[in-house]
Amino acid sequence: MRILVIEDEKKVATFIKKGLVEEHYAVDTAFDGEEGLYLSEINEYDLIVLDLMIPKIDGFGVLKKIRERKNNVPILVLTAKDSVDDTVRGLDAGGDDYLTKPFAFAELLARIRALLRRDKKEKESVLRIADLSLSIVTHKVMRQGKEIELTSKEYALLDYFMRNPEKVLTRTMISEHVWDYHFDSNTNVIDVYVNYLRKKIDKDFDPKLIHTIRGIGYMMKKE
Amino acid sequence: MVFRSLRFKLTLWYVLILGILLVSFSSLLYITLSRSLYRDVDNRLRSLAHLIATESGSPSSTFDFGKLDQAVRATLNLRPVGKFIQVLDGSGNVGEKSENLKNVQLPISLQALKNASKGFITFETVRTFGNTPLRMMTLPVIEKGNMARIIQVASSLEDVEDALRTLFIILVITVPLALLVASLGGLFLANQALKPVDHITQTARMITSQNLNQRIKSLKVKDEISRLIETFNEMISRLDQSFHQIRQFSSDASHELKTPLTILKGEVEVALRKERTSQDYEQILRSNLEEINRMSKIVDNLLLLARTETGEIRLFKEEINLSQIVSEVVTQLTKLAHDKDLQIVATNHHEDTLLYGDALRIRQMLLNLIENSIKYTEPGGSISVSLERNAPHSLPGKEKGSYDGVKIVVSDTGIGIAKEDQERIFGRFFRVDKARSGEQGGSGLGLSICKWIVEAHQGEISVESELGKGCRFIVKLPIHSHTS
Repeated sequence: MRILVIEDEKKVATFIKKGLVEEHYAVDTAFDGEEGLYLSEINEYDLIVLDLMIPKIDGFGVLKKIRERKNNVPILVLTAKDSVDDTVRGLDAGGDDYLTKPFAFAELLARIRALLRRDKKEKESVLRIADLSLSIVTHKVMRQGKEIELTSKEYALLDYFMRNPEKVLTRTMISEHVWDYHFDSNTNVIDVYVNYLRKKIDKDFDPKLIHTIRGIGYMMKKE
Repeated sequence: MVFRSLRFKLTLWYVLILGILLVSFSSLLYITLSRSLYRDVDNRLRSLAHLIATESGSPSSTFDFGKLDQAVRATLNLRPVGKFIQVLDGSGNVGEKSENLKNVQLPISLQALKNASKGFITFETVRTFGNTPLRMMTLPVIEKGNMARIIQVASSLEDVEDALRTLFIILVITVPLALLVASLGGLFLANQALKPVDHITQTARMITSQNLNQRIKSLKVKDEISRLIETFNEMISRLDQSFHQIRQFSSDASHELKTPLTILKGEVEVALRKERTSQDYEQILRSNLEEINRMSKIVDNLLLLARTETGEIRLFKEEINLSQIVSEVVTQLTKLAHDKDLQIVATNHHEDTLLYGDALRIRQMLLNLIENSIKYTEPGGSISVSLERNAPHSLPGKEKGSYDGVKIVVSDTGIGIAKEDQERIFGRFFRVDKARSGEQGGSGLGLSICKWIVEAHQGEISVESELGKGCRFIVKLPIHSHTS
């Protein structure tokens, strides 16, 4: 899951990024409205965390522009003002949820999870395919009752696969949703990580879940 | 409560004054009328008595005292209705009398007799005669040196007293009635006049800090009350404005404090989610300390500004050497400037510039201004601080000859300030670019404090700037001799 954090206060942006990366999200940061809009245009994000008081273009302006582009990415609005007026304005301009500063980090995570499963059919916090399960809260991955240890990147990759079962996922899509802005698309990093993941979840188990679609990418499905 | 009300007092005064007027008028009327009525009676008695005396005293008189009534009627050609006439001889014995006296006599007092013997007229009011009081005149007639006879003429006072009694009754009834009507009318008028005052009271009572946008409804007529309403409304507006400023100030202040709080809370919470290396912890603690310092600075500045408003802060003015302070501050900030790859130059054309002021505050003001310049100037730029003595004629805006001062100019090659923002930068929490000062830990209060310090020294501060080219802060301070 790839998240864009638009926040001018560098230290706030930094700790949000650090916390989210540790939760296996791929995170980009932008320090003003212009940069944020640019990043949201060239990349496909699963969620945007947006501070309202940012320079160049303010949060309301960013919200308006993103929605004008028919981009329905969930947007979590951060605001230091706790007046009802501001909250209402933020939500009306196209924000999906809001959080007032200072906020509890656990709450930020919970709201991000809630927004990410908003469009999904099942509202459970555990994703399942065949006998494989992944808890998006505890990050515990189990297959046939055995717990599987994954690295952060492997976890992020599996999370993306399991959120999009039975869909062909191209290398570009995978890079956009699992890796951040600094990803170098000229390498075969994705194939390497998919292989790592296969070794851990498919090698000792049946049926195999990760399938290679030659020349295009990968797909997760039960046979 | 009712008796203390203005309408009651107004009515009371009104009725009291009217009462005094009515009572004086009635008394005057009564007294004047009664005097004139009594005088009329006396006059008539006197003329009748003199006529009789003259007629009867003439040598060719045919006046027959034996037939008094007829004689009077015939000679005087008049018929004195309701007049009693009695004639006494020289020694006081009753002789002839008018028929209407029948068998009674008019009394004659000793005093009247004594007066008569001396030749004087006597008027008296006799109440012992019959049912009605009687006005009586006693006139002696002197012939050849001796008192020939005494003529007594009397008239009943019944008509006069009846008239006066009627008048008295009319007055006693109408005056209180008039006062009653007047007091009701007065109360009504006072009520009418004071009704808007009740309205003002009610509205004013309802107004609290929560609904200061309310106003008292103004009247169509422009009178004293409407002026009072206007005054009230203006006062409420001023209150509204200052409440708004206070709300704005506290909201700005809390917003200012929220950023460092968000960072502290967030960094610590993220740090506690996992076990970290000691380097990580150290880095987090250092960052936390930075935020704590930032908050202390904001709180200090807020307190300082709050105290300047209540006048709790006093300047400790003494003779200070401004040149020395400027060079000290510049030296102090040189490292900070060089760290950001900025040139900093101080120019001073005078070795000593003595000023009467508060060294601590002047230093604080200079620190704030120069730090600001460092903050808003990109690496590679330069900052200059100059100190000049002003000759009096160099300040055309000031009164001639009255100004002798110094000019401190802090200029930089920084990002500058847009024209529309130049007025507002001395306001609290105003920031041209929040992001830029945020990472430097500014509080948005520095220039407010500078302005206060300069003004507390009777000086002025201004800014000249062009966006993208830098800005010049100009501080003009007057040099007062410390004896003044």
